[in-house]
Amino acid sequence: MLAIAYGELVQLFRNRLVLLTSFIMPIAVSAFFVHRHEVFADAGSLGYIAAIVVFTVGAFGLYTSAVTTLASRRQNLFLKRLRSTAIGDSGILGGLLLPVTVLATVQVTGILIVFGVVAGAPADPVLLAVAVVATIAMLVGFALATAGVTNSPEHAQVTTLPIALGMIAVASWIGLTGAEDLQLVKRLVPGGAATELVLNAWDGGVALSESLILLAPTFAWVFVAANLAAKFFRWEPRR
Amino acid sequence: MHTTDDTPVIDVEGLDLVYGEFHAVKDLTFHVRRGEFYALLGTNGAGKTSTLEVIEGHRRPASGTVRVFGHSPWDRNTVRPRMGIMLQESGFSPDLTVAESVRIIGTLTRRDDDVDRVVDLVGLTRKARTKVSQLSGGEKRRLDFATAVYGTPELIVLDEPTTGLDIQSRDELWDAVDRLRESGTTVVLTTHYLEEAQQRADRIGLMHQGVFHREGTVAELTGALPGVITFGLPAPPSAGVPALPLHVERQADGTFRVETHRVQKDLHTLLGWAEDHGVDLIGLEAGPTRLDDVFRAIN
Repeated sequence: MLAIAYGELVQLFRNRLVLLTSFIMPIAVSAFFVHRHEVFADAGSLGYIAAIVVFTVGAFGLYTSAVTTLASRRQNLFLKRLRSTAIGDSGILGGLLLPVTVLATVQVTGILIVFGVVAGAPADPVLLAVAVVATIAMLVGFALATAGVTNSPEHAQVTTLPIALGMIAVASWIGLTGAEDLQLVKRLVPGGAATELVLNAWDGGVALSESLILLAPTFAWVFVAANLAAKFFRWEPRR
Repeated sequence: MHTTDDTPVIDVEGLDLVYGEFHAVKDLTFHVRRGEFYALLGTNGAGKTSTLEVIEGHRRPASGTVRVFGHSPWDRNTVRPRMGIMLQESGFSPDLTVAESVRIIGTLTRRDDDVDRVVDLVGLTRKARTKVSQLSGGEKRRLDFATAVYGTPELIVLDEPTTGLDIQSRDELWDAVDRLRESGTTVVLTTHYLEEAQQRADRIGLMHQGVFHREGTVAELTGALPGVITFGLPAPPSAGVPALPLHVERQADGTFRVETHRVQKDLHTLLGWAEDHGVDLIGLEAGPTRLDDVFRAIN
């Protein structure tokens, strides 16, 4: 698995376009939110900015990059080559997705640490970490499922838009309007409960027991994403 | 020196493969022994690659059993370290170099080897630091072969390995295969270049429309068909063609073709006639039936 991950990491840094769109751009957007945090905190809260950081990096740095990578490796039959070796399917997927997942996690962590230094530390860092991990797991599952219906890297630019933009829209909606109105709907939409977790973890003021309830819909979406991945993911191009 | 024994390396029993409505392979049974060079030949769409893809663990059959080294081909952890695969079509990571690709794929085979040795084996030493995206089609095919033979596997499956290769690269590839065989490697091949199979295969399975048309050694496959004598005569012919035991066919290009099971005797008769009548035979060729003729006889 590490051999595949090494190869992917080398390619990531050799392909400047991927590096720009998947990593520089989310960092730039996040940096803008952090820099203007007082303005955005007035509109929502500091937790809203944290949620936007998590979902922007998650949607573009992780989800879109993962779909593009998987579609590209399948289209040129590299996945088939890997399956001709001794490594198992989970090792192949793990190796392909490890670099983008680790980089996205490092990005989110780094940006949130800077944000914490600039604007003040989160109320519950452990809960925040749980929310970030759950969001990343969900987006990896969605990436595998989306890759199943994505024929090429170019096609990924279209197929990733609904979930990528949808995640950021959900984070913005809940971050700007609060979690109280339409609470059930906001908790059930994908990413909704995870957004509320981030808000609670950063802003505080909500009992831990109340926040822990949010783990149920969050992990339910991880489960749904994993099942969609198992159903839709393909190893070879359609004939 | 190639040695074979009766230890089964591949066992295929009653294999059926179905794609939707299309029955690609029907009740196919064959066995490949250790050290053997087995060629799976056939017409386009005969089911060769589909059969190989089951052996390689890329396809699940509708019915039948397939064992490689006595194990399921889907048990990658057990089977693949002993098995090199050169797919008919497969890709590499375009931004990695030749040496990086061999190292990564080689590592994943769980066999040990020296990357430089393998790169040199396929004649890509000068391209070792070149990105895969900058290789020609033939060079990519050689890289493909390099990853298949990495670590000298006990079994190598070659699906049309020389397609797209120039003559020199083909010769180098077959030299490498010959060296592998000397170390005891079992080879399974599909190819459209029949002379490659005719020169090297211990046994051939000839497929047509998903079933075995015939199976046997080259001698067994070609032995049932007559040998061929072809020749031309100076125009206009000064005499008739001597009466041969078989019908002499005049071909569209004006040459003559004799199909016979007694090539030597009939050739002697023809040469005697030519000598007696002072006729120079033009483009005289005589030989046993080639695999091409067996192939044509399928349809």
